[in-house]
Amino acid sequence: MVDVGILLQIVFWGLYAGCIYLLLATGLNLIFGVMKIVNFAHGEFLMLGAYVTAAIFALSGLNPYAIILLTMLVLVSIGGFVERLCFRPILGTGKLNEIFLSIGLIYVFENVAAVIWSDRWQSIQSPYSGISIPIGPVSLPLDYVIIMVVTTAILTGLYLFLERTQVGMAIRATSQNRRGAMLVGIDVERMDMLSFGIGSALAAAAGTLWVVSGQVFNPYMGSIPAIKAFAIIILGGLGSIPGAIIGGLLYGLAENATAFLVGGPWKDAVSFIVLIVVLIIRPRGLFGEAEE
Amino acid sequence: MKAPDSGRLFRYSTLLCLALAVIAPASGDIYLLNLLVLMLIFIIFASSWNLLALSGQGSLGHAAFFGIGAYASTLIAVKTGLSPFIALPLGGVVAAGVGLLIGLTCVRLKEWFLAMVTFGFAIITQTLVVSVLAPVTGGWSGLASPRLLSAAIPGNSFIEYYSILGIAALSILAIRALMGSKIGLAFAAIRENETEARASGVDPVRYRLLGFAASAFLAGVAGALEIHHFGYVTPDIFGIDISFLPVIYTIFGGLGTLAGPVIGTVILTIVSEGLMNFGLTFERFIIIGLILILVVIFLPRGLVSLPEEIRKRWKRHGDNPVVSQTKKE
Repeated sequence: MVDVGILLQIVFWGLYAGCIYLLLATGLNLIFGVMKIVNFAHGEFLMLGAYVTAAIFALSGLNPYAIILLTMLVLVSIGGFVERLCFRPILGTGKLNEIFLSIGLIYVFENVAAVIWSDRWQSIQSPYSGISIPIGPVSLPLDYVIIMVVTTAILTGLYLFLERTQVGMAIRATSQNRRGAMLVGIDVERMDMLSFGIGSALAAAAGTLWVVSGQVFNPYMGSIPAIKAFAIIILGGLGSIPGAIIGGLLYGLAENATAFLVGGPWKDAVSFIVLIVVLIIRPRGLFGEAEE
Repeated sequence: MKAPDSGRLFRYSTLLCLALAVIAPASGDIYLLNLLVLMLIFIIFASSWNLLALSGQGSLGHAAFFGIGAYASTLIAVKTGLSPFIALPLGGVVAAGVGLLIGLTCVRLKEWFLAMVTFGFAIITQTLVVSVLAPVTGGWSGLASPRLLSAAIPGNSFIEYYSILGIAALSILAIRALMGSKIGLAFAAIRENETEARASGVDPVRYRLLGFAASAFLAGVAGALEIHHFGYVTPDIFGIDISFLPVIYTIFGGLGTLAGPVIGTVILTIVSEGLMNFGLTFERFIIIGLILILVVIFLPRGLVSLPEEIRKRWKRHGDNPVVSQTKKE
């Protein structure tokens, strides 16, 4: 019989990890929905988010959770620039080009960060580290609770933006039918840039949460979370935001359960084994449409 | 796709490169010799990736095969006492076997899905090597690997260099022969249009698997060569950098051409090494990343298509007055 305390701990830690993954995956899917591209350098935005947060924190000493908005703002502009300068010229020239371009971006971002901030592992300390809330038989770090609340707030904000604002509706229209959106006078290229920027900002938010939870970061940390985000969007369906959210949480839970059951080093591998098995059975993902 | 390869200019430059490669060790510079050895190994590695691309597939985790070949060859040489020269192709065979398995799982996957699964596969391999297989592989601390040639042999570095040059030349000739054969035609058919290929009696699955196995074999040989050259192997060999390098070299030189991976590897290794000598440790990767982005946007068929592109642009320039005249009439 598994101890209830341990079970609860696995669930809470899994949900916390899931929050970071789902923000990454939601960003990827928002971009995919509108532009039909997968940015393999998406993890680099998480890494940049982590560094920008740490830099602002070191400069201002503000509460790190307040910095999340600033960080997102910085990354919206970086993401917009990347879309305009790199992805727009190759849009529609083939899926391979996107992958190759992303590899170039990974090299550029990783090493720009290494030049500016060195390639050492770093970490910052949240003002709430060391404070825990007892929930039933386990005690949960306060930071993890705040992270779950912040993630919920960001997702609610995204939902309201997409559902209630004019621009949000234009983004959804573009993602549903690009040509139709063009016909009714939506500037689809602006929507591309905007959704790429927002997607990058969501990755940056994940980076902020990564940093404030006390996890270490270096310029090369982005790749592994990014691959996990790919796994999530494959499982949850390309372009589906609810799929990314549920998939992200499930992935976090599965990963923590694996780490507990078979040991830490397997954490990264087992999830890929699951992914590969799913893809063998359904080559377009669990909820992927059988297009083409 | 073959067009940029043909032509007298190309044949002469190939001969010139070969001649340079043959006489280079005469300088007696050990630094240069080491650089050339690494260049040759990555020419094999990049060509193996290119071969996979020629069969209509791709991989973002080719380091897996590079590393498996290296570990397998090392273990075979250590456990049996065989010469690394014999262990080398055996390491390649092990890599090909694993490649076949991966090929089987990937046979229905395309583009992003294929890229993600192969990307993940390199990580799984690394995890296995440092956890379950650690008693054999030495975990994170790695394994000492026998040198290709014992240091006691006089002139060993020269013999090593010429052996690797021979293996690289052989690999490229083998790919050339393969692409010129019926198999190469089948690859092209599948690459261009799978449905039509199937309709004309080409079994895509068989050729896909063949492409995966052949590519993994060459990648494994390249990995084994590198490790026998350095004399040590660690799990870092499965790193993302090692997976990306053959892709970058091939795209830069020209995807799907025989010369592309060679030109890409030579030029980018020189650029990277040159920048490194200026003390630009991280900056050189920024520059290589920027070069890759620029090539993808402005020269999608790589450096080998540059003469053709220039000629095209030139011609268009010359034609312009004629066009405007006809318009007036």
